[in-house]
Amino acid sequence: MSAAIITSGLSRSFDGCVAVDSLDLEVQAGEVLALLGPNGAGKTTTVRLLNGVLTPDSGGATVLGMDPNVDGDEVRRRTGVLTEAAGLDDRLTARENLEFTARMRGFTVAEARLRVDTQLDRFGMQSMAEYRTVGFSTGQKKRLALARSLLHDPEILFLDEPTSGLDPAATRDVTDLIGSLAREHGRTVLLATHFLGEAGRIADRMAVLDHGRLLAIGRPEDLAAELWDGTPAEIDLGEPATDATMSIVGQVEGVAGLEAGATGLTVALHDREAMARVLAALAAAGTSVYGASIRRASMEDVYFALEDSSLQRVAP
Amino acid sequence: MTIGTPLAAPTRPVGRSSRPFGVDWPVVSAVIARDLRAVRRSKAVVVPMMLVPFLLLVVLPLLVGLAARQASSPNGTISFIDSLPAALADPIANLPPDQQLLTLVLGYFLAPLFLIVPLMVSAVLAADAFAGEKERHTMETLLHLPITDRDLFIAKFLTGFLPAVAVSWIGFTAFAIVANGVSWGIVDGLIVPNGLWLVVIFWVAPAVATLGLGIMVRVSARSRTTQEANQLGGAVILPLIFLAVGQATGLLLVDLSVALAIGAAVWVIGLLLVWRGAARFTRDRIAGNP
Ligand SMILES: Nc1ncnc2c1ncn2[C@@H]1O[C@H](COP(=O)(O)OP(=O)(O)OP(=O)(O)O)[C@@H](O)[C@H]1O
Ligand SMILES: [Mg+2]
Repeated sequence: MSAAIITSGLSRSFDGCVAVDSLDLEVQAGEVLALLGPNGAGKTTTVRLLNGVLTPDSGGATVLGMDPNVDGDEVRRRTGVLTEAAGLDDRLTARENLEFTARMRGFTVAEARLRVDTQLDRFGMQSMAEYRTVGFSTGQKKRLALARSLLHDPEILFLDEPTSGLDPAATRDVTDLIGSLAREHGRTVLLATHFLGEAGRIADRMAVLDHGRLLAIGRPEDLAAELWDGTPAEIDLGEPATDATMSIVGQVEGVAGLEAGATGLTVALHDREAMARVLAALAAAGTSVYGASIRRASMEDVYFALEDSSLQRVAP
Repeated sequence: MTIGTPLAAPTRPVGRSSRPFGVDWPVVSAVIARDLRAVRRSKAVVVPMMLVPFLLLVVLPLLVGLAARQASSPNGTISFIDSLPAALADPIANLPPDQQLLTLVLGYFLAPLFLIVPLMVSAVLAADAFAGEKERHTMETLLHLPITDRDLFIAKFLTGFLPAVAVSWIGFTAFAIVANGVSWGIVDGLIVPNGLWLVVIFWVAPAVATLGLGIMVRVSARSRTTQEANQLGGAVILPLIFLAVGQATGLLLVDLSVALAIGAAVWVIGLLLVWRGAARFTRDRIAGNP
């Protein structure tokens, strides 16, 4: 795999307020990278920098082997962007909005029409095609904007909150589409989003920004291994674990840590075998176990752990 | 929603090889076509664009012409002609008295007023093209498309300039029909076009359109909404209009060489403003100053 996007020391501030701070990022071709972070973290600014819409103060980026600051138009020819606001001209119809973009991307009138039809069909907007977008719902506008970003089959897709405002079915469809674009068609996707569950389902790796700084980048399981000593496992005892139970489990070999919960306890395990030993120890002590499962850290777990640790780093 | 599978391979149109003046004309004309189509559907833009030229170039000359036709005593005109610049006074003074008033008013007085048309049309369209695009959040979409900063500026400039000149010329044609019609039977031959009017429509009017654009490009960069741009722009443009009205009575413009010189001065100021606007029209500035 080669890198589709590389940034090194990418920085940009507005009136002294740093929006993106020495960002070092590498996105592989054909990968879906979830770009996460709280409001104002710098996600949108990063997309604008990568597409040559903003100029960095320092550092730089390579997108498809080109510097977006130098060959901006060539980069933009090969990327597709879904901006935060749908950015449709309400005085034009759905079709006119899309056909304009197709013409801007160099397609002939006939081909523009064909491509627009394909995308309108794909996003279930064909019946709305001849209406002005002024009365469209948030989700309908989002679908059109998504359709527009795919008109030219871009090699890289920058998607800024693609599913916000979509209904559950449309969210699932768009999520599936993004996954298939990357897996079956080799497109690279940079997915800026606040929906961690959905990002976890389609993204290969996650990058977490905060105050413009990259807190971490990697596969959720790798980041989890760095964050926590051991893999968390839930043990259901039907009632809060007693001190006696806690001390029994604490002495089992391979248990890195433990915490009592409302219906049992959570243990951090160094390896899978430790789970068997914990269950054996509990059985020997005559404690009833109603359930036990190893919990793989989700993107959500990792995200909040990173956010918490960054708060601690910033606060004192 | 049935999303299905995407098209098989990334297909991109090959780069166009011929680019007259280094401009990607298909892309520029796509922007102009979209802007004008959208503008045609916007009453707030179309109504002033049609109403002002109609009042100025059809209603006003009709009323003035009819009134001048009725004027029974031409004596007042003759004494006024004595105070006109020689270049104008001679051709008019040599006319029979009953033709003097109509020729003076329709052939000369209205020419400076006519310039309000290109000024207003270009200003209104420029506000929509620059500030309006920001207001509608469509500018961000444009910035992410493959069009150079310069081509985007050229497209936006022409979106204001071409209709301003077109409306002026169509308006002038209507004016010529009204002016000659209303003086029919009194004045020998055609009142317009005359030398002054030719200079005004082909030389000064495009210059004034450029000036209006130059002002509005500047003003739009500082405004968030079209309304704000129009208000700010109005503050700059209204004095220019009063100046034009003042000219009409002072008759500074009547001398052809003066008209040519004024046109040249307006061109220089207009182009300078547009040039500066173009230099500041970069993606980074536009996206960085939402
Ligand atoms: N054009 C601008 N002018 C001034 N400040 C800006 C501009 N663009 C971004 N910022 C600031 O830069 C920071 C990062 O903004 P950005 O839009 O990239 O955040 P984000 O991660 O996309 O947030 P959200 O999740 O809310 O979309 C914010 O503090 C924002 O106020
Ligand atoms: Mg954002």
